[in-house]
Amino acid sequence: MLLTKKSGAAHGVARVNGESRSPFIHSLQRGLSHALPTMDRRAFLRRSGLGVGVGIAAGSLTLVKKAKAASANGPAVGTGKIEVKRTVCTHCSVGCAIDAVVENGVWVRQEPVFDSPINLGAHCAKGAAIREHGHGEFRLRYPMKLVDGKYQRISWDQALNEIAGRIQEIRKASGPDAIYWIGSSKHSNEQSYLMRKFVSLFGSNNCDHQARICHSTTVSGVANTWGYGAMTNSYNDMQNSKAALYIGSNAAEAHPVSMLHMLHAKENGTKMIVCDPRFTRTAAKADQYIRFRSGTDIPVLFGILYHVFKNGWEDKKYINDRVYGMDKVREDVLAKWTPDKVFEASGVPEEALYKAAETMAKNRPSTIVWCMGQTQHSIGNAMVRASCILQLALGNVGVSGGGANIFRGHDNVQGATDIGPNPDSLPGYYGITEGSWRHYATVWGVDYDWIKGRFASPAMMSKPGITVSRWIDGVLEKNEVIDQDPNLRAVVYWGHAPNSQSRGAEMKRAMDKLDLLVVVDPYPSATAAMAAMPGKPEDQNPNRAVYLLPAATQFETSGSVTASNRSIQWREKVIEPLWESRSDHMIMYQLAEKLGFGKELVKNYKMQKVKGMDEPVPEDILREVNKSNWTIGYTGQSPERLKAHMKLMAHFDVKSLRAKGSVKDPETGYDIQGDFFGLPWPCWGTPELKHPGTHVLYNPSLPVMEGGGCFRANFGVEKDGVNLLAEDGSHPQGSEITTGYPEIDHVFVKKLGWWGELTPAEQALAEGKNWKTDLSGGLIRVAMKNHGVYPFGNAKARAIVWNFPDGIPQHREPIYSTRPDLVAKYPTHDDKKAFWRLPTLYKTLQQKNLQDKVHEKFPLILSSGRLTEYEGGGDETRSNPWLAELQQEAFVEINPKAAAERNIRNGDRVWLKTPTGAQLNVQALVTERVGPDTCWMPFHFAGRWMGTDMLPYYPSGAAPVVRGEAVNTATTYGYDSVTMMQETKTTICNVEKVA
Amino acid sequence: MARMKFICDSERCIECNGCVTACKNEHEVPWGVNRRRVVTLNDGVPGERSVSVACMHCSDAPCMAVCPVNCFYRTEEGVVLHDKDTCIGCGYCSYACPFGAPQFPAAGTFGVRGKMDKCTFCAGGPEDHGSQAEFEKYGRNRLAEGKLPACAEMCSTKALLAGDGDVVADIFRNRVLKRGKGAEVWGWGTAYGSRQAGQPQGQKS
Amino acid sequence: QAPAQQGQSAATQPAKPVVDDPAPGQQPGGIQGQNIFDVKPEVKRDASNDPGYMDQTNGQRNAVQPGNNAPMWRDVQRGMAGYSSLPRSQAPEAGVLIQAPVQYPGSRMTTAGEAWRQVRNNWLIPYGGALILISIVALLIFWFARGPIGHNEAVGGGGRRIERFTPFERAAHWTNAIAFVVLGISGIVMAFGKFFLLPIIGGTLFGYFTYLLKNLHNFFGPLFAVSLLIVIITFIKDEFPRKGDMGWLAKAGGVFSKSGEEPPTHRFNAGEKVVFWIAVVLLGIVTVGSGLVLDKLIPSMDYLRSTMQQAHMVHAVAAILMICLIGFHIYLGTVGVRGAYRAMREGYVDEAWAREHHAYWHEDIQAGKIPAQRSTQQGAPLTEPVRTA
Ligand SMILES: Nc1nc2c(c(=O)[nH]1)N[C@H]1C(S)=C(S)[C@@H](COP(=O)(O)OP(=O)(O)OC[C@H]3O[C@@H](n4cnc5c(=O)[nH]c(N)nc54)[C@H](O)[C@@H]3O)O[C@H]1N2
Ligand SMILES: Nc1nc2c(c(=O)[nH]1)N[C@H]1C(S)=C(S)[C@@H](COP(=O)(O)OP(=O)(O)OC[C@H]3O[C@@H](n4cnc5c(=O)[nH]c(N)nc54)[C@H](O)[C@@H]3O)O[C@H]1N2
Ligand code: HEM
Ligand code: HEM
Ligand code: SF4
Ligand code: SF4
Ligand code: SF4
Ligand code: SF4
Ligand code: SF4
Ligand SMILES: [Mo]
Repeated sequence: MLLTKKSGAAHGVARVNGESRSPFIHSLQRGLSHALPTMDRRAFLRRSGLGVGVGIAAGSLTLVKKAKAASANGPAVGTGKIEVKRTVCTHCSVGCAIDAVVENGVWVRQEPVFDSPINLGAHCAKGAAIREHGHGEFRLRYPMKLVDGKYQRISWDQALNEIAGRIQEIRKASGPDAIYWIGSSKHSNEQSYLMRKFVSLFGSNNCDHQARICHSTTVSGVANTWGYGAMTNSYNDMQNSKAALYIGSNAAEAHPVSMLHMLHAKENGTKMIVCDPRFTRTAAKADQYIRFRSGTDIPVLFGILYHVFKNGWEDKKYINDRVYGMDKVREDVLAKWTPDKVFEASGVPEEALYKAAETMAKNRPSTIVWCMGQTQHSIGNAMVRASCILQLALGNVGVSGGGANIFRGHDNVQGATDIGPNPDSLPGYYGITEGSWRHYATVWGVDYDWIKGRFASPAMMSKPGITVSRWIDGVLEKNEVIDQDPNLRAVVYWGHAPNSQSRGAEMKRAMDKLDLLVVVDPYPSATAAMAAMPGKPEDQNPNRAVYLLPAATQFETSGSVTASNRSIQWREKVIEPLWESRSDHMIMYQLAEKLGFGKELVKNYKMQKVKGMDEPVPEDILREVNKSNWTIGYTGQSPERLKAHMKLMAHFDVKSLRAKGSVKDPETGYDIQGDFFGLPWPCWGTPELKHPGTHVLYNPSLPVMEGGGCFRANFGVEKDGVNLLAEDGSHPQGSEITTGYPEIDHVFVKKLGWWGELTPAEQALAEGKNWKTDLSGGLIRVAMKNHGVYPFGNAKARAIVWNFPDGIPQHREPIYSTRPDLVAKYPTHDDKKAFWRLPTLYKTLQQKNLQDKVHEKFPLILSSGRLTEYEGGGDETRSNPWLAELQQEAFVEINPKAAAERNIRNGDRVWLKTPTGAQLNVQALVTERVGPDTCWMPFHFAGRWMGTDMLPYYPSGAAPVVRGEAVNTATTYGYDSVTMMQETKTTICNVEKVA
Repeated sequence: MARMKFICDSERCIECNGCVTACKNEHEVPWGVNRRRVVTLNDGVPGERSVSVACMHCSDAPCMAVCPVNCFYRTEEGVVLHDKDTCIGCGYCSYACPFGAPQFPAAGTFGVRGKMDKCTFCAGGPEDHGSQAEFEKYGRNRLAEGKLPACAEMCSTKALLAGDGDVVADIFRNRVLKRGKGAEVWGWGTAYGSRQAGQPQGQKS
Repeated sequence: QAPAQQGQSAATQPAKPVVDDPAPGQQPGGIQGQNIFDVKPEVKRDASNDPGYMDQTNGQRNAVQPGNNAPMWRDVQRGMAGYSSLPRSQAPEAGVLIQAPVQYPGSRMTTAGEAWRQVRNNWLIPYGGALILISIVALLIFWFARGPIGHNEAVGGGGRRIERFTPFERAAHWTNAIAFVVLGISGIVMAFGKFFLLPIIGGTLFGYFTYLLKNLHNFFGPLFAVSLLIVIITFIKDEFPRKGDMGWLAKAGGVFSKSGEEPPTHRFNAGEKVVFWIAVVLLGIVTVGSGLVLDKLIPSMDYLRSTMQQAHMVHAVAAILMICLIGFHIYLGTVGVRGAYRAMREGYVDEAWAREHHAYWHEDIQAGKIPAQRSTQQGAPLTEPVRTA
């Protein structure tokens, strides 16, 4: 913590000002030592003049035709220690690289990284303002505890002791399942992995993170279609697309730098179609824009597919060779989604969809992009599969320029999904079956039975936990109806905001009922304020304890992060943790120590000293990930390879992401030749195998050792007598096996006579194992390197996912719909009893809404989404004045027609009311961006609660600059039928002018 | 000598405000002062376009002509800069500037505004290059460091181009030729008159 | 390298406005957007035959001619405000890309800022400056030709002392006068200082000096406004036209008469009344009003650039005229009329002075219609005879 290192900081000042220790400097020094504990960093920077000369001293860019030589005798050219640290933006999944200029431990500037093949130096507002994290003026500075409605500063020791004590108490009384752990997609891969390990060793599956309310439907829908739940291609690869269909993605605001590639492609003739209920900034760039009613993606997508089939534009050979079940889908689509029905449901006329179908079919490879518009629905899992099916029909998957470009959310949501705290899997999508537990027991070096003993019962070990979208019901539901012994009594928010989960009004009640609430976050303010705000007396648990722990940001530690395109980048540590904050993995370790399993947690890691305390070395955690995550190829990305890529960014091609020849890392001698940037997973086998990573998934036109592949064999070899494996001739280039084949294991390898190619050491580890559990990587090595065979088999993608509620995607109206006529035609699912441990309503609630005629009181669709300047719940970004200035007011977009009916003018204050009884006081933005039946709100605001300012409830000094009503205070019930995704893109509301 | 200019390609600009925060960050510009801003035309309806705008460093700069204390000057590169020590905060430059570039830190009572602040094309001010005084008053001097304006360097879509008028015009022309449309360069007519890049400053005042 | 530096290379040469879509009616001066290349928007011939072609919105135009943004640029040129996320209260004109074209008196039709610049730089500064200079020269000539008006004997004649201005009146007047002088000097330095002062004292000093004056101007304005109001109220009852005013005017106050005899007037003569009504009341209120706008002191008003430009032009015109007229008043109140200054400084005049300059007023006092001493407090006696220039 620089600012309390008095001598150091003062020293820096003296040095910057040169030898002349003038009286002024002297007094400045004295002043500083007095002011230091409280002086804010920005003022410090400004007053000390640190870093002024940095650019000239460290500047290396010469883009100007003729750069003027810096004046050599500039008086205050910094002579302090200047370092440039390469890091990655922590806001979205694009993964833009940033060079942080650090002088004497202070982050003084940031420079664009023109070398990055992902962003070429470009940033949106958030990335360009990221240095604010180096000031962190509005961050939580020390641990705090809620005492009599006010947050009070306490010591770390006290905080950890009390929290651990409480947790042990609750565990003893109610078992490990009474505690709920909400991890984070903001964590580095190492931290998310450690988080899952932490919860596992604590003895629970009750953990989750943002992916649940983000792309969970995509992940399960897409993985069940062809293997992996991830973006198949990349932002860069979209430059190879001839057409792109964005449906439910507002990339211009949510993934701004991705537009760099798309707009470049457009200049080269790529056709761009945008389907969205709103005319978004993305739509403004499109060649064709299609407006449709929110929640009707399936009618729209199948409406397009209808024309594809009608005109015979589908890729028949591809379908035959690589797709299962398309014939049935074809029948279904042609029967159900005739243009009139599509129009009835979605409001899109036939010509528009015909044109879109034609564009997609005649400009191949064509790609599809989707994001939250499709995922956040009670039928999200089906919507995303409809998108997959369209791409499969067009033969676009596994093709450069094609694919399903699923733009992910948070900077590391992909990584956290892959190897982080999921309630139904262990890192690497290893299920929570005994086999997986044993696999990890081995990797972690702990006894399987010991882990088992940590759980409430062996049965709980393989029962998926509660999801973050529903933790409130884990607290509020009657104990008899929930599928675990205790109700939830404690919640740990470890890098997640509360205003991002729906049903905020009920969340407030749940928070009040808890025994323990812990928030580990650099900006815990929204949760903190909500917890401190007085609720209903009958909900208040008199014994509740609330703690806030200041976490370090990703700039105050190092670690890897997986971008949307699966490329993994390494962040260097930019600065030491500010104030009293500690890195998440340090806190995990310290808490585990107090809870009695610290040794087990860090068994395989060395420790490093940070601020005099032990912290597990991130590289070691990554090595453990490398040793265990065979399923998805997180094994080849050793820290050394990743760091080499970060240094040698300039040598990767922007379009293909491939290294442009042979270049060696001067430090390790590692040669990046052949590698794809960031070794996008799967990067198979051990690092020594030197698999280059996979830029385009399932792409048979490349050999497997150059990133080629095929669809995964994960669903058996046949279904009802129909072959599920790929047809002959459809295999990765150069494969020795030219037919479809199942995943490889020791038996398979032995049968083919390849067993002898494993070294004896490998044989010892691989015996009795398959490619996923063979810790030697020998099976993978032999199959890939020696025979060009893909470890996970070669199968067909599934157009019908028979294990889902609707094998063929069916349209179903949202739980809260404005269209009773369509609810009758397209009703939702039946209720579920024990779904992720909770009873879940579908039909009864939808029917009740119909009977109560809620659509008459709430005739407008309410959707929500993103603004460029803010991110997620927004606590971080609303605390950044450079961003906050640009969006100062929460608002609701409303069509001029709907506004006129309600006598609302642009800029008026309005009440937005929903069936939950909540009402939000926001500003009206009257715009044709939304149709007359739709309202839209950004969801990044918090800090106002149904008309009142929550400022008094924030920990002092940690309130964000801008506060506003959170849309989720008012959002309604509704969850996806597979993943428990919340239905935040389509609910209902009414808007009234504030009297 | 190079003649510095901006081009904002409205076919590319997505109103992401990256340019705006890049500027704030680089120069530590306070709340309320926006050296650069982004304007969206036809917001929310087909035909929507966004444009990022800051000082255009006009050839015949109206701000310069009306300043009562002559605090503006033009660098060899055609960048219009001003001297904050001389500025009296009268606001005349902001009345005259067609683009709304000049900004004032204070909107105090009695019309007190504080010293004018505006985009410097990241070229600092009259103080020594790279000096502390220069940074405090005008922000960084990237041109002296051999870098281009932060806003343009970080533009998310490379819509905003900054640099030698000939070079940026060339980049833009390539795009225009490729897409065969959208050749309109916003603001050039007003900022540089019908005379073209590279010409010495205008004589009118 | 030379040609590339001099201008755009061949392809980027002379700027032409978009040719396929001339704006209907007058094209405002100054091309806002500019097609810097010979790449024209994709023009589908049939599209422009559409009868509604010129009325198309940008969206409609883009649908028939992708990339042809002429409708939008035309709107921008007209000053159309776009969307900016900055709040209206903070930056009311953030959405305006370019100021709307206007034609101010004396300017071309061009962007408002440029038009204002033309008015200020081409008219207000040169002609306003000239007017002030002419006024000064005129006064100098008058001084040398005519010298002070009135007789020295009338000033300190030792006759009865009549209270001409009560202490309150004097306080109000002097506050007002001082404020005016400060405002005038600071205003003149702001407007013209760079021509006469800057070359002498140099940029830095001039900057600091003007900065000081400018801020003084801002703060003295309101003071002036208040004192002006009081001055007007206190003097107005004696400023209405009365018997003798026409005669006074007809004889031009007797200034040019051989005898130097001043025609009889009431408390104030017609000249003073003209100055009062024109310079003090009319110009005063206009200057103050516009000044308060420039000071952003009028509540609940949107201080847009156009407002400021207009207020400035009004202010400058009124202020310059006021400087000239009040300059005349000051001349007469100091060196121009013997004894006038003393009347305003000390409040009392000698009976002789009253008789000489304001005969009717003197009659009224003698008749007891107006008390010779109006304030309760005793004014300072005329101790030593003051020699007035
Ligand atoms: N600036 C910014 N960028 C971000 C984030 C952020 O918070 N701020 N968050 C990141 C995260 S976590 C994510 S997940 C991504 C999300 O990125 P996006 O999903 O692109 O963003 P959203 O605004 O949530 O929603 C996209 C669009 O879905 C539309 N939509 C609404 N209802 C429907 C529907 O029923 N069907 C369809 N097809 N579309 C519909 C909305 O109109 C909206 O324009 O952004 C990431 N990037
Ligand atoms: N109505 C509505 N609701 C939505 C959505 C919507 O479109 N509409 N979108 C949904 C989606 S897609 C998402 S992803 C969620 C996003 O919602 P959240 O993820 O809840 O929102 P964020 O504010 O980004 O939360 C991240 C938190 O992590 C903290 N943090 C950042 N870095 C670190 C770190 O290194 N360590 C720790 N411990 N903490 C850190 C931040 O300060 C912040 O508090 O919202 C969902 N909710
Ligand atoms: C209530 C009284 C007044 C107020 C509030 C006021 C205010 C202003 C303001 C705000 C300006 C613009 C410059 C700036 O921002 O400071 C200005 C300019 C000016 N004012 Fe005043 N003023 C007042 C009275 C006067 C008077 C009485 C005079 C004349 C003696 C005067 C002469 C000028 C002049 C000459 C300028 C400069 C015009 C130019 O630069 O073109 N003002 N005034
Ligand atoms: C240095 C500046 C000034 C001087 C030396 C001055 C001097 C005088 C004197 C000597 C008189 C008395 C004349 C008489 O006895 O009839 C007078 C009257 C008066 N002055 Fe001034 N004055 C000054 C500025 C102003 C200003 C700025 C105003 C208002 C804008 C003003 C308004 C008046 C009025 C209203 C009267 C009453 C008689 C009349 O209408 O002339 N004076 N002034
Ligand atoms: S938020 Fe996303 S697009 Fe913006 S700079 Fe960061 S990584 Fe890049
Ligand atoms: S844009 Fe405005 S401030 Fe910049 S040079 Fe032109 S007139 Fe001056
Ligand atoms: S505000 Fe400053 S820079 Fe602008 S015109 Fe006035 S003195 Fe000149
Ligand atoms: S050129 Fe520099 S000062 Fe001007 S807007 Fe861009 S970043 Fe800001
Ligand atoms: S950064 Fe570029 S794309 Fe974004 S608003 Fe600025 S100019 Fe437009
Ligand atoms: Mo997300």
